[in-house]
Amino acid sequence: MNKKFWYLTKMSFNKKAKSKWFIITNIILLIFIVALFNISTIIEFFGGDFDSKTKLIVVDNASVYDIFDANLETLNEDDDFEITLGNENVEDIKENLSNDELIVVINGDNEEYLTSELISNEKIDSLTYQIILQALNSTKSVVGMMSEGIDANVLANISSNITIERTILNEENNTDENMDMVMSTVFPTLILPFFMLIIFLVQMVGGEICEEKTTRSMEIIIGNVSPKMHLMSKVLASNLFVILQGILLILYCVIAYLVSLALGGASIGSMVDVGSILDMLNLSSIGSSLIIVIPIAIVMIILSFVAYALVAGILASMTVNIEDFNQLQTPIMLISLAGYYLAIMAAMFDGSIFIRIISYLPFLSVFISPTLFILGQVTVIDMIISLVVLILFIYVMLKFGLKVYKAGILNYSSGKVWSKLFKAIRER
Amino acid sequence: MLIVKNITKKYGKNVAVDNLSFAVADGEIFGLLGENGAGKTTTFRIIMGLLEANAGEVTLDGKKIDYNETDHIGFVTEERSLLTKLSVQEQIEFYGTLKGLEKEEIDKRLDYWLDRFEISSYKTRKIKELSKGNQQKIQFISAIINEPKLLILDEPFTGLDPINVKLIKDAIYDLKKKGTSIIFSSHQMEYIEDFCEKLVLLVKGHAILEGKLSDIKSNYAKKNIMVKGSNIEIDAIKKIKGVISVTENQGEYCIKVEDKSIAPKIFNIVKKGDVTKYDVADASLNEIFIEAVGGIHE
Repeated sequence: MNKKFWYLTKMSFNKKAKSKWFIITNIILLIFIVALFNISTIIEFFGGDFDSKTKLIVVDNASVYDIFDANLETLNEDDDFEITLGNENVEDIKENLSNDELIVVINGDNEEYLTSELISNEKIDSLTYQIILQALNSTKSVVGMMSEGIDANVLANISSNITIERTILNEENNTDENMDMVMSTVFPTLILPFFMLIIFLVQMVGGEICEEKTTRSMEIIIGNVSPKMHLMSKVLASNLFVILQGILLILYCVIAYLVSLALGGASIGSMVDVGSILDMLNLSSIGSSLIIVIPIAIVMIILSFVAYALVAGILASMTVNIEDFNQLQTPIMLISLAGYYLAIMAAMFDGSIFIRIISYLPFLSVFISPTLFILGQVTVIDMIISLVVLILFIYVMLKFGLKVYKAGILNYSSGKVWSKLFKAIRER
Repeated sequence: MLIVKNITKKYGKNVAVDNLSFAVADGEIFGLLGENGAGKTTTFRIIMGLLEANAGEVTLDGKKIDYNETDHIGFVTEERSLLTKLSVQEQIEFYGTLKGLEKEEIDKRLDYWLDRFEISSYKTRKIKELSKGNQQKIQFISAIINEPKLLILDEPFTGLDPINVKLIKDAIYDLKKKGTSIIFSSHQMEYIEDFCEKLVLLVKGHAILEGKLSDIKSNYAKKNIMVKGSNIEIDAIKKIKGVISVTENQGEYCIKVEDKSIAPKIFNIVKKGDVTKYDVADASLNEIFIEAVGGIHE
């Protein structure tokens, strides 16, 4: 019987992994990920340029050019600006102004020390505006300081940020506020592929069972292997398939990164500033959390895949065509979507009992529980509770869901789906 | 030998199969008849072990049917049970492996049957690309690839032209000769008359006729008298008590009578004309079926 189980699993896995759509999807994914990692090189190739500098033409009517230049230099970490002193009349400069040029007119003022006018052909991006604004404010401060005879050190001490030494007495909840930044930048990207894999998994299991049912092959298959073996082979094959797809996605990211290194362009890695994220990870003591969270999360992911596959299989057994299955799988999709968004927004729910309880629920726990743990909102015990609940759910699915599956796969009446389900559960 | 003993299957209050019993010996073709919804599919599913009967038991060669025994059963379902995206070879390997066969053995047997059914060139073609008739042949091959001890045929000739019907018929006779027990179900009574030595007729899950086909037909009182010739006094025949109907088809009269005792009276009239044919025949299975099923409904 083991031979039949492994054969069914292999057959089911190969049917997906060797299908045209799988190959096409992966080619598209590879191209998309490589393109995303090398977006600036691509834009440059078509004539755009992320590295092009904004040219600032300063019309200095207050004799503060050197101060402004120095301040801008300090703020211009990525070397995005090229600054020149405009010697012509403003109107003359305006006439020849190109789209990558800005005119900053700086005027002296008796009350406000300095006023300024910013002139451009088009609307400018907010980051550029903020940097210029900050440079002008700093210049104004220096001018004001000199006018009022204030010592530079005194001003620096007044205007600097307050120094905070952070201490959290609860050792189990010792992650700090830097995690919010990590969660908002890194986490949505990390769990999006997982959400995609769940969709693949549910559709693979459901689609195959529906196909076997609608073609009446099910009668022959179930005549030779038990419904339990049949369902388990689908669950295993679909899990292996999504794990393969997950590994391929990681591989594509590595390839994309290597391509970006080879091309020497600005990669998405440099755009999101991996270095600063790593700094944040260090600051936030996430490293020690990851040692605990990763093994538990891996077990939880695998068990959640099993749970999703079981439910998809059981639901598919009650349907008579793929349209019925698409309707029945919608609630699963919505639940996993809710889990995805709750995980992204988890940082907002600090201390909420509701979100803590939600993190115990199967289907949602895989998204929310590890997130809350990294944020320090739940403990290892809570994660273990989520795991236990998940295992119990799988046990219930195997005990009662299999009855539904056994009754459903050979039933072709389209009405009273829920009545059939409860009747099958009650049957001994 | 297959023995079905007093099986009953209920779905809630509905009785799908009611205390049904029959036996199919090795090398015997057995007919299971019934109108739609009579309980044939339920009976097949119970035999295959797909459904559990509420009462009774089914044994094959003395053993209760489980997943080891189903390796020795072949089943041609009424609706085609083929995964149409697979190729012919993949499909047969799939079902063959589920029957516990090795790949090499499956391929050897597949080549033989494809050659015999004159479709060797379709081995690597997808099922969905084949005609209905060829799909039916593939379904038949998938059911017999394991050289079954018991073969269940539910409408095996669907979509086949007469030439291909003959190919399948010959294959069925060969299996019979090798000792395979065969259960045959069809709505086309001429196939049942052609194939089956014994049969059972189900109405609402209950067996209303069972036994040897020859006994069923000879015990059925109504007869058909076939007469051909000229100057036959048909009106006089119609007036005889016990004559049910007289119909004509291409110069041949079919006179249905209540029982065979009417035959001499008809012969006395017929012999006055120029008769070239006079034959007292049993009623067809089709007529027996219609009357038996119709009688129950009335």
